Amino acid sequence: MAKHDTPMLDELEKGPWPSFVTDLKRQAETHPDCWDILGQLELSYRDKITHWKHGGIVGVFGYGGGIVGRYSDVPKQFPGVEHFHTVRIAQPSGMYYSSKNLRGLMDLWDKYGSGMTNMHGSTGDMILLGTRTENLEPLFWDLTHDLKQDLGGSGSNLRTPSCCLGESRCEWACYDAQDLCHHLTMHYQDEIHRPAFPYKFKFKFSACANDCVAAIARSDFAVIGTWKDDIQMDQAAVKEYIAGNYPSNAGAHKDGDWGAFDIKKEVIDLCPTECMWMEGDELKIDNSECNRCMHCINVMPRALRPGKEKGATICIGAKAPILDGAQFATMIIPFIKISKESEYEEVIDVIEKIWDWWMEVGKNRERVGETMQRIGLPTFLSVMEVEPIPQHVKEPRSNPYVFWKEEEIPGGWERDVVEFRKKHAA
Amino acid sequence: MAMSIEEVEAAMIAKATKAPKPQLYIKDFYKCDPDRKPREIKNIANKLVSKGTLMFWSSGSTTMYALPSRIKDEEGDEGIN
Ligand code: HEM
Ligand code: HEM
Ligand code: SF4
Ligand code: SF4
Repeated sequence: MAKHDTPMLDELEKGPWPSFVTDLKRQAETHPDCWDILGQLELSYRDKITHWKHGGIVGVFGYGGGIVGRYSDVPKQFPGVEHFHTVRIAQPSGMYYSSKNLRGLMDLWDKYGSGMTNMHGSTGDMILLGTRTENLEPLFWDLTHDLKQDLGGSGSNLRTPSCCLGESRCEWACYDAQDLCHHLTMHYQDEIHRPAFPYKFKFKFSACANDCVAAIARSDFAVIGTWKDDIQMDQAAVKEYIAGNYPSNAGAHKDGDWGAFDIKKEVIDLCPTECMWMEGDELKIDNSECNRCMHCINVMPRALRPGKEKGATICIGAKAPILDGAQFATMIIPFIKISKESEYEEVIDVIEKIWDWWMEVGKNRERVGETMQRIGLPTFLSVMEVEPIPQHVKEPRSNPYVFWKEEEIPGGWERDVVEFRKKHAA
Repeated sequence: MAMSIEEVEAAMIAKATKAPKPQLYIKDFYKCDPDRKPREIKNIANKLVSKGTLMFWSSGSTTMYALPSRIKDEEGDEGIN
């Protein structure tokens, strides 16, 4: 039986869509503390202000992350949510769980928490919502000892790296995203579990430009699979698609009434760089113009495949709001080899160059993308020791001044500052 | 002469004692030894936490450092994530 009257929340159960209010009520039958979430939320709606308090000192011994402390500011009225901490569980690479493992996690959470979860959070972790401070250490013990799992990152830590399922299932994978993700997770344990930076930093790995983990929108450091040579083409299969013998998009849209496959309308005209055309019944691609967007390959997977010389593009600086609004990552390194043999040394070099610069130059609570924006791309490229290329240019320059550095001028120049200051006061 | 780890630690504790607000950002400690890279300063700060001299204070998306004696209880005064 409901513990509080919640007329406003009840309104949210009326539509045809799933309702978190209904979910919470169902959960409250077994975890009565959940009534107090509803009660407090109703009060917030009435008062038009939140009754949650942020921040504090919760955590487990030796870790400086993985648990996000939350408290009610009306605990007398709603004792069930006096403490309501969030626990982040690091997800396995590619989010493969066994059902046994999931049951284990849910039993653990039924025992120590509200039983409410969020799978998965935008960080990639499994999110367990709502527990008390005194439950944290026992939960952490069982998690690490019985389930052999670990907390993820939060706060100014490196956040739990996440990846697409890559080579485990996907024929488009241009590198082994799961292995790279796992390797860097192990390599940077200290950065994940203890604060390491002025603000959060996220890695995400997608093994092709379909970007199934939305790395380009959500991570400070996005590694997106690509290739250098030509798209592999099977002209006989192209003909089968045109003849309607192979379903487009591997049959994903076959239930809709889209009419017969039209290669011009569905592929050629949608190529963002307009680099495809037909010559008779042969499909042609100007690979030097192709930006590896994956569209044509998605539509005709049996005819087109990524090239053979595979690697990744590195894009840096995506973030969601706080200071400056959402922004996508900027392409910095067009192609990098992703090599297991070198233990991913090339990627690690790039990461640490960014960290050394951002920790020095970034302001408190400034994501690296914001630092890049504030300082400017030319400076960032020179920090990264990357030669500017046309693809780095967003728009033609609007200011007519050109600045040269001494080392860019044959012979350089000398300037006697003392002599200069005699005529020009500082 | 480069500062020893102990000297840097002492400078950091002094800073955490005197700072107007009890919670400090990691950047606030950089000047305790300008010759060290930020990541070294971070490592020294985290060592001080594991010794119990400093403590973490987390808002959820940012983690700060504080002297335990200056933080009375879990009452955070910064309403930011
Ligand atoms: C109308 C109700 C709600 C809506 C529409 C909503 C929507 C969302 C969305 C869209 C996200 C981002 C998901 C993602 O990208 O992974 C999110 C994340 C989250 N939600 Fe909700 N939510 C609702 C209610 C709640 C409630 C009642 C709680 C807790 C009691 C909650 C806790 C969270 C948390 C902790 C995250 C972040 C997880 C992370 O760290 O990534 N949400 N929510
Ligand atoms: C008026 C109410 C609230 C506001 C305006 C608010 C705002 C925010 C903002 C701006 C972020 C940072 C998003 C980012 O990562 O850029 C955030 C993160 C978060 N919030 Fe809240 N929040 C509210 C209530 C809550 C409540 C009630 C809870 C849980 C009980 C909660 C749990 C979290 C968690 C777990 C995160 C993720 C922290 C992280 O980045 O690791 N928030 N919230
Ligand atoms: S991002 Fe690309 S490689 Fe990874 S699962 Fe998605 S389609 Fe496959
Ligand atoms: S991958 Fe994208 S850009 Fe390249 S040819 Fe296909 S549709 Fe055009």
